[in-house]
Amino acid sequence: MAITLEQIHYTYSPGTPFARVALQGVTLTIEKGDFVALIGHTGSGKSTLIQQMGGLLQPSEGKASVDGIDLSRKEKEIKAARGKIGIVFQYPEHQLFAETAYEDIAFGPRNLGRSPEETDRAVRRAMAQVGLDFDTFAQRSPFRLSGGQMRRLAIAGVLAMEPAYLILDEPSAGLDPRSRRLFFEQIVKSHKQQGMAIILVTHNMDEAARYAQRLLVINEGKLLYDAPPREIFAKYQKELEEVGLAVPAAARLAAVLRARGVPVPADIITEAELEKFLLTWVKKRGKK
Amino acid sequence: MLEVQGLKHYFTDEQGRTVKALDGIDMHVDDGDYVAVIGESGSGKSTLARHFNALLQPTEGRVLVDGMDTAAEENLWAIRSRVGMVFQNPDNQIVAAIVEEDVAFGPENLGVPQPELGRRVREALAAVGMTAYAQQGPYLLSGGQKQRVAIAGILAMAGRCIVLDEPTAMLDPRGRREVLATVKKLNEEQGITIVYITHDMSEALAAKHVYALEKGKVALAGTPEEVFSETDELERLGLEAPPAGRLAAKLRKAGIKINGNIIRDEELAEALWP
Repeated sequence: MAITLEQIHYTYSPGTPFARVALQGVTLTIEKGDFVALIGHTGSGKSTLIQQMGGLLQPSEGKASVDGIDLSRKEKEIKAARGKIGIVFQYPEHQLFAETAYEDIAFGPRNLGRSPEETDRAVRRAMAQVGLDFDTFAQRSPFRLSGGQMRRLAIAGVLAMEPAYLILDEPSAGLDPRSRRLFFEQIVKSHKQQGMAIILVTHNMDEAARYAQRLLVINEGKLLYDAPPREIFAKYQKELEEVGLAVPAAARLAAVLRARGVPVPADIITEAELEKFLLTWVKKRGKK
Repeated sequence: MLEVQGLKHYFTDEQGRTVKALDGIDMHVDDGDYVAVIGESGSGKSTLARHFNALLQPTEGRVLVDGMDTAAEENLWAIRSRVGMVFQNPDNQIVAAIVEEDVAFGPENLGVPQPELGRRVREALAAVGMTAYAQQGPYLLSGGQKQRVAIAGILAMAGRCIVLDEPTAMLDPRGRREVLATVKKLNEEQGITIVYITHDMSEALAAKHVYALEKGKVALAGTPEEVFSETDELERLGLEAPPAGRLAAKLRKAGIKINGNIIRDEELAEALWP
């Protein structure tokens, strides 16, 4: 059970003066239960790639499939496959539309033909997953919520369809630090409890380092690296900067400490790891 | 440059309730200052920013730009040519089909004649490092480049103050670096006054003064060193210190002695390995 992309090429407006190559032969597999971060500069092909995964774009060349169902088949046949993939686009709160939070979330499961009872269960579960209290928020207008709450509501609408693969495009852009942290706590919980695969598209290297088990780096429509974040951030600092990216803040801080002579190992990429290392190091040094 | 006195901004929501977006703000921004404004979503940052060039008017209190009251209509053009705004979404603020025309749009509207207009556009593009793109279509630019073009538009109007409302929220790491470096350079080399709203504490570190808002009031104000060493108060405000500050606080809590106000990477390195 997986999303499989084989040698995907994609060109926008082919055969016209505006033709633009977006993907050049991308091959990768996202397994059920993966937590993957996808990074790359603006225009590197990230958005095109997630649209291929979701079956929203047909590849110019190559083959995309979800759980064995070829996404190039007829609309009717791939409907089931599409139902397995939930995509939360950037600024999803701009797409809220219903009178109440409940109705907004119920739209998806109803559209998938779920019964009223199943829909109700799905709405309640999705609201709990994103941390919106049912009694407080279900009957509120989506437009009377704060920015962070609107974002969570929009994500609940996608979770209510119970996707096996959840693609999040810059889900934390514009959120304040607390909302950001709460949001990821909830996503990690959904990932762990339901085995939902997460594909996180982000410009935030700290998030990629902290939450993902696997990191995909895309550049000029090609997959540059596909490895655990620790390996990529430890080995390819210079290369990442050349393609418009960066290493996480903790790795930058670690580099500054290392230059001073503090023996921070190269594979430290999160704040928690750096804290743990420094605590042991300072104590050990104190004893000498 | 900017003087905010007892500023309150109230509005009525669709339920007919009064929302106090700003609830008594006092603030002073010197000529050539670099001020960062931080705060949770809904704390009033953007509402405050929109008062600086008279996009919004105070319900109570006053906002003065170089001594000019933003509430007086006859000051509007003078204020808007002096204080420009850069918003979050780089795609929403470019109006022309060619970069140099976009930069010329503001001063042209103010009636700046040639050859002065051409000179201003050239200098503005040079100041943000976008000279090579003068003849290009904006749609070919990256997010960071578009934000720099928006900044050039303000410079071309002879703006002396740039208010940026989360200008990097939608940018990739390179775009962030470009915008931050441009803002810093304009402040240092040309003395342009900067008001920089952000959720990213590392970006706020570049400022000379930091204001943290909470429910329309100033909760903390001071130098980055002063504001970011208040780790508990920041936590309460839904904010955080920059990475080095957070680590220093955690190490202290674990009983490790670390002297001084630590907020920057180099300072932590210095404290740990003097």
